[in-house]
Amino acid sequence: MTGLAYTVTPNWLSRHLGFWPVVTALAFVALVALLVLPVINIVGLSLSGKDDQPGVLANYITFFAERFYYQTLINSLIVSSAATILAVLLGVPAAYFATIYNIWGRGFVRAAVVLTFVSPPFIGSYSWVILFGRSGLVTATLAEIGIPLPSIYGAPGIVLVFTLQFFPFVFLMVSSGLKSIDQSIEDAARNLGSSELSVFFTVLLPLLVPSISAGALLVFVAAFTDIGTPIIIGERFRVLPVLIYGEFVNEFGGRPVLASTLAVLLLAVTTGALLVQRWYAGRHAHGTAAIRPLMQREQPPLKRLLASAYVLLLVGMALLPIINIVISSFLKANGPLLLFEPTLDNYIRLLRTVAVPLTNTLLYTTAATVLCAVVGTAVGYIIVRRPGRLGGLLDGVVMFSYAVPGIVLGVGLIVTYNEPPLILTGTAAILILAFFIRRLPFSVRSAVSMLQQLSRDTEDASINLGAGPGRTFLRITVPLLAMAILSGVLLTWSNTIRELSATLVLQSGSTITLSVEIFTEVVNANFGTASALGTILILLTFLPLVVLFRFLGKQEDALV
Amino acid sequence: MTSTSVRIEAVSKRFGEVTAVDRVDLSVAKGEFFTLLGSSGCGKTTLLRIVAGFMPQSDGRILFGDACIDAVPAHRRNTGMVFQNYAIFPHLTVVENIAYGLRARGLAAGEINERVGRMLAMMRLEHLGHRRPRELSGGQQQRVVLARAIVIEPDVLLMDEPLSNLDTEMRVHLRGEIRALQRQIGITTLYVTHDQEEALMMSDRVAVMSGGRVEQVGTPAEIFHRPRTRFVAAFIGETNFLPATRLGAGGNDTALYDVPGGGRLAVPSGQASAAGSPAEVAFRSHDLIVGPATESGWTATVTDTQFYGATVRLVLELAPNVFAQAALTGAAAQTLPPPGSRVGLSLHSQSPWIFPAKPQ
Ligand SMILES: Nc1ncnc2c1ncn2[C@@H]1O[C@H](COP(=O)(O)OP(=O)(O)O)[C@@H](O)[C@H]1O
Ligand SMILES: [Mg+2]
Repeated sequence: MTGLAYTVTPNWLSRHLGFWPVVTALAFVALVALLVLPVINIVGLSLSGKDDQPGVLANYITFFAERFYYQTLINSLIVSSAATILAVLLGVPAAYFATIYNIWGRGFVRAAVVLTFVSPPFIGSYSWVILFGRSGLVTATLAEIGIPLPSIYGAPGIVLVFTLQFFPFVFLMVSSGLKSIDQSIEDAARNLGSSELSVFFTVLLPLLVPSISAGALLVFVAAFTDIGTPIIIGERFRVLPVLIYGEFVNEFGGRPVLASTLAVLLLAVTTGALLVQRWYAGRHAHGTAAIRPLMQREQPPLKRLLASAYVLLLVGMALLPIINIVISSFLKANGPLLLFEPTLDNYIRLLRTVAVPLTNTLLYTTAATVLCAVVGTAVGYIIVRRPGRLGGLLDGVVMFSYAVPGIVLGVGLIVTYNEPPLILTGTAAILILAFFIRRLPFSVRSAVSMLQQLSRDTEDASINLGAGPGRTFLRITVPLLAMAILSGVLLTWSNTIRELSATLVLQSGSTITLSVEIFTEVVNANFGTASALGTILILLTFLPLVVLFRFLGKQEDALV
Repeated sequence: MTSTSVRIEAVSKRFGEVTAVDRVDLSVAKGEFFTLLGSSGCGKTTLLRIVAGFMPQSDGRILFGDACIDAVPAHRRNTGMVFQNYAIFPHLTVVENIAYGLRARGLAAGEINERVGRMLAMMRLEHLGHRRPRELSGGQQQRVVLARAIVIEPDVLLMDEPLSNLDTEMRVHLRGEIRALQRQIGITTLYVTHDQEEALMMSDRVAVMSGGRVEQVGTPAEIFHRPRTRFVAAFIGETNFLPATRLGAGGNDTALYDVPGGGRLAVPSGQASAAGSPAEVAFRSHDLIVGPATESGWTATVTDTQFYGATVRLVLELAPNVFAQAALTGAAAQTLPPPGSRVGLSLHSQSPWIFPAKPQ
């Protein structure tokens, strides 16, 4: 026989030292080190008992016995649920109108939703303070003419900010859900004599259950785990993540046990919410795929006007804080007071201080984005192309990281890497790794969906022609996925650059990032500087998305 | 070009509950054009992919020449595979596609150029060398992937329904071309198709598969004229099956069968079924001769005539709810008995086949 260069004896080594087994092993090591171990450690710490009160559940007993602690959990649940319900009630009709009706300003609506979606949440909240706070622009103006406004601080303010900040999750999910419904389904319902309203409630809404619940879950988790907004606008209304943050910065190095206990509770709620949503959406999944998606329809003038007014008002409200930030960055500021005097002072003042946080932010974001692209593509490949027990396990672990909130990951990484053999606390590496692991599930999911669209035969052809698995991956798979990988890179970048929760607990003075810098300026009431920094951050977040939507032809629903 | 024989020994493949390939034994001679023929889902692709090394078999072994290759990974097997959906590399030019396997083998640039050039000429693709796949027609793409598979001088050429995505005219043209090319370079070829005409026309030998098993292996003529199982008889050509009762011995060492419509058919004793067990006789539609009805002979009523051009088919009712078809060509197709008329039937010299009756 010719052609066969050599015969290989089947032994353990050759089966286990191939390209993909090695990559799989490396992926496991990374996930265990950065996700599994930190989570195990905080669970372990939370069960380690207290000095004066041994017993594995001692910390939890303390939590549920003392109102100071358990009230934060109740508060968190209240504001997150309220924001979730409001976001669904506002977001679903908006998505319906924007998809089905010929409303005015569709382009603007799309851009506004994206902009709202990617702007850091804490920027929204302090912007509302600028406008409606105690000495806010609108409050002051209205007070002069004798109209008192309800307070923006506390629970109502948090719910307002969360709702407006996070309803895009629902909007984007439902828009893409509507696009997967075939026009013929609606036509059939109309043909059978249903009015528009009854078609919506009897046909469309049931089909949208998976999309709505997915959007609602994202709103709930984002609201439940957010730190910036409650700190800025919550005042005495204390929520769970803020308590964690407080415990952590106060007791750093001293008693991370309580912080771990709180983090486990936070994780339990987000994981529970995720599982409930999966189960619920699974029961209501209909596997629709549209050959001819729902069409936009001409509406009579009054209906068109009302629908447009509703949608524009909603996205206008959501966009207001961002516009406000950009404008106020060019206004003279005196602490929290803004004066109507155009100036570049805020930016000029920044020149001295911005270099470090800006460089750090760009560096960490870029590093994490590259890691995500490389590891995410490889892991996605293993899950799709090399299914098996290991691939399934990898899939499970990656998807679990969806449920791990930034602050929980931050706490976990600190308790894991603040003592020998590996000390990473305070380094740039720990921030980069945290960013990486936070976004990894998104990169994996996007790699999985693009690989599922790529016929396996193309890669098999390469193998068949004598190219090994590694060469095939680099010469065939990666070039064919180049555009999709680039889209993933832009999305990762936009989402990573504004990270706050994990960054707050992981950063040290020298590794400060833009988002932390803004947060600090806001807390210190330097609104002018904060606005200028905020404007820069919004720009850095938005620019990659412009490329994504303009030049790579992606739709907004790529964001969720 | 050098190539090798292939032996598939008791190979099975199970996916959970499904047995996709069931104890298949095949032996392909060096230089032979061997076809796996069967309807969709019978396990052809699975078997081919096992030979290529894309998945391990559950049982059995594969030999190239005398060497068992089960432990050789797919990229070292030196097989050239042509996929149903082309699997052309869309980001590479025609030349780069063809050179891909040579580059993977680390050949010198000069040799790669020379071999690719020869291949382009052989496939009449010279003028397309620097095109991208999306600028090629389906037939041209298929020639590129064929060139890509052949240029590496594989031990075995594997083709999985390479023509099924092409229109009829291109398919007929290319199957002749592939056959001629295979003869010319003498490469051992394992070819997969569900198209019996393609299989009979191209192959040296054919294996008919069903439900993961090989039903029969033989030359196209053997498969067509001497189907060994009811499945093969039904799958190949247009076949009538009639319930039959064995009457006893006929002359010349034959057994006599009684069929609906009063027919008596003689079958060589060697092929006859056991006396007393229910049986079916089978024969091709084009072996049925339709003539004037006779008093004592085999008769039927014409229920429908279907015009197909060169062939005309008569639907015949032999007994209440027992039907057969006759395919008439030439002069016989010119003068047709009208529907409702009674006709007399007989068979061409080829004797019918006997199969045990299908269990109800
Ligand atoms: N990867 C797989 N996992 C599970 N079942 C499979 C897989 N590949 C093929 N099968 C099953 O094996 C049987 C044979 O499939 P295949 O070899 O593709 O048939 P053919 O090529 O003859 O149409 C089918 O029942 C198919 O569903
Ligand atoms: Mg097949």
